Amino acid sequence: MSWEISGMSAICALGDTVAGIHGALCAGRSGPAPLSAFDRSKYRAGAAYEVPDRVRAGVDEPLRATRWLVRAVREALADAGLPEPEPGLPVLVGTTHREMRTAELWWRHDGGLSPTDLHFTSALRAAFGLSDVQTIASACAASLYGLGMATDLIALGEADTVVVAGTDAITESSFGGFDRIQFPPPDTIRAFDRSRRGMIMGEGAVAVVLRRPGTHPGPVHGLVRGVSMNCDASHPTAPDAAGIVRAIEEAHDRASVVPEDIGLVIVHGSGTPQSDLAEAVALRDVFKGAAPGPLVTAIKGGMGHISGGAGLLNLVVALEAIRSRTVPPISDLTEPIEETRELRIVTGRPATEPLGTAQVHAVGMGGINAVAIVEGAPR
Amino acid sequence: MRTGATVRTAVTGVGWAVAGPDFDPVTALAVRGMRHKDRASRFAVRAARRALEDAGLLDAPELDGAAVVVSSNFGNLDPVCDTVTTLAAGGSTDIGPMRVPQLSSAVSAAWVALDHGIRGPNLTLCNGASGGLDAVAAARNLIAAGRATAALVIGVEPDSPAVARLHRETAGSRWIDGAVGLVIEPVRQAVRRGARIRAEIAGYGRAHDERSAVRAAGATAVPRLGAEANARFGRCSGALGVVQCALAVERLDDPDVPEGEAVLAVAGAGTGESDGTSVAALVLRLSRGRHT
Repeated sequence: MSWEISGMSAICALGDTVAGIHGALCAGRSGPAPLSAFDRSKYRAGAAYEVPDRVRAGVDEPLRATRWLVRAVREALADAGLPEPEPGLPVLVGTTHREMRTAELWWRHDGGLSPTDLHFTSALRAAFGLSDVQTIASACAASLYGLGMATDLIALGEADTVVVAGTDAITESSFGGFDRIQFPPPDTIRAFDRSRRGMIMGEGAVAVVLRRPGTHPGPVHGLVRGVSMNCDASHPTAPDAAGIVRAIEEAHDRASVVPEDIGLVIVHGSGTPQSDLAEAVALRDVFKGAAPGPLVTAIKGGMGHISGGAGLLNLVVALEAIRSRTVPPISDLTEPIEETRELRIVTGRPATEPLGTAQVHAVGMGGINAVAIVEGAPR
Repeated sequence: MRTGATVRTAVTGVGWAVAGPDFDPVTALAVRGMRHKDRASRFAVRAARRALEDAGLLDAPELDGAAVVVSSNFGNLDPVCDTVTTLAAGGSTDIGPMRVPQLSSAVSAAWVALDHGIRGPNLTLCNGASGGLDAVAAARNLIAAGRATAALVIGVEPDSPAVARLHRETAGSRWIDGAVGLVIEPVRQAVRRGARIRAEIAGYGRAHDERSAVRAAGATAVPRLGAEANARFGRCSGALGVVQCALAVERLDDPDVPEGEAVLAVAGAGTGESDGTSVAALVLRLSRGRHT
């Protein structure tokens, strides 16, 4: 079966609408900004892709990830024509850091913290009366895990409509942790480039409304055809191409497509040496017989790695690329790695061609992978 | 639709890793392979191994396509807080590289998968008090949707300075320090391999309030498990529902319990351990013989 996406929204450093984010990517807008709320003397890197919405510059605030989530869910529901959802509507929220930034402010600066701040049921119940909320913390594959679980809820007859979201705010601990292991620190994210040095954190939220076909007559943005989720179980931190291949093949199987059907791939593309290599090898293997093969791009150079929401952001950007027939290029990619030689990597400027079906990736720490197959809107 | 929600699933293994007569955390968490793991992951890995042993699935081929589902609210709270303390005292170069994976809420599930080569879905839920029961229901759905041949469900909450501070600030006086694991698998598979079926998952619901959740689980007439989990361990948080299921299985293990007897577990309701945001209800039913 397939599932309709009848509403979508996103917010990140690059913009606060899906069309706006896609347009900014196509215009080549990107680039991290100087860290605004952390003490810059503590880190070797000095920049991140923050959402510039703090009330006072330089003063951090609790519950920003929650705030963006509520906004994204509200906008996606409105977009779907469901401003006042039924109280039983399930909401699946993918997140890497939850409200750990709020916990950090509590631990270090005597901010407040309630156990209910560490999941998103409380906020979504207060905002919309929704309490069937799952806070899914499967690293940076979390929002596509949520999407896969949502397709299951509908397929198993447990729901007709499900909201899937992702949200994260940059935490000092993870910013510091990546700063510890990435040296010299990356100045930009250069997915698939020989000179790539790693990932730069971003933040923001994304939401979609997923519905059983036939549930409503309104417009749809696209169809989810199938979602896979798996685990490499091969190394604590380094991704494994074999696990990504299995995830792609299972997604194709669930979507009833073959490699030749895929017109566009938006990879995880975090710009780390190992993760990009694993994805390139996986794509080379899966698409070796497909001619000409899909266009391949990555978007994190635009808004950084927004963590839990990253996979779902890839998905909404893919739908916008299909609608506009315009695929944003990978930013700052000048010397592609050898493993991408047979792939149709989009560089320099946007690629324009009709597209039907797209494949999006999320590769999380711990070898946690998810792949979704989507197609453009029939109406 | 691939496989209906009608795929029957059952608990076939239980494993405890909580301080007691047969588990000493001081020695059990210090064994080989534990050095780089956070406290939550150490507990989770031990509970997982015991649950798989109990189910007779250790090193079994079924594990390759199985799922891991972890429920924990505070698993990575201490690594996160400790890292900001390190940053405040110095800088990022003072952070140990092995700390980095521990900052992820998903780290325990990843270690469990790595320990047993479990390559199916690797899910971590941080849902508050309802999370343990939600995790069992999620495991059932992963199996029903054809995504997993079996599922290892772990509820884990470590005690640590940050966790203790949060409990004390919210009027807590006693809380769990450990993990419990359940093996969930299709009834048909359990029968085929001759495994002992401890309890079948017979219903699940989640709602604003207890009454609605119990109704959604189809359990208005099912006797409810009492407050044993909290009486034994204090606050269980994300581990609560998994502890409740393990206790329900112990109750159903009694040979005097008649076939068909059911137990209702409720997590997050006002009278028990609750955070006031949602309630989950799950029914486990004894079905020793009727597997066809």
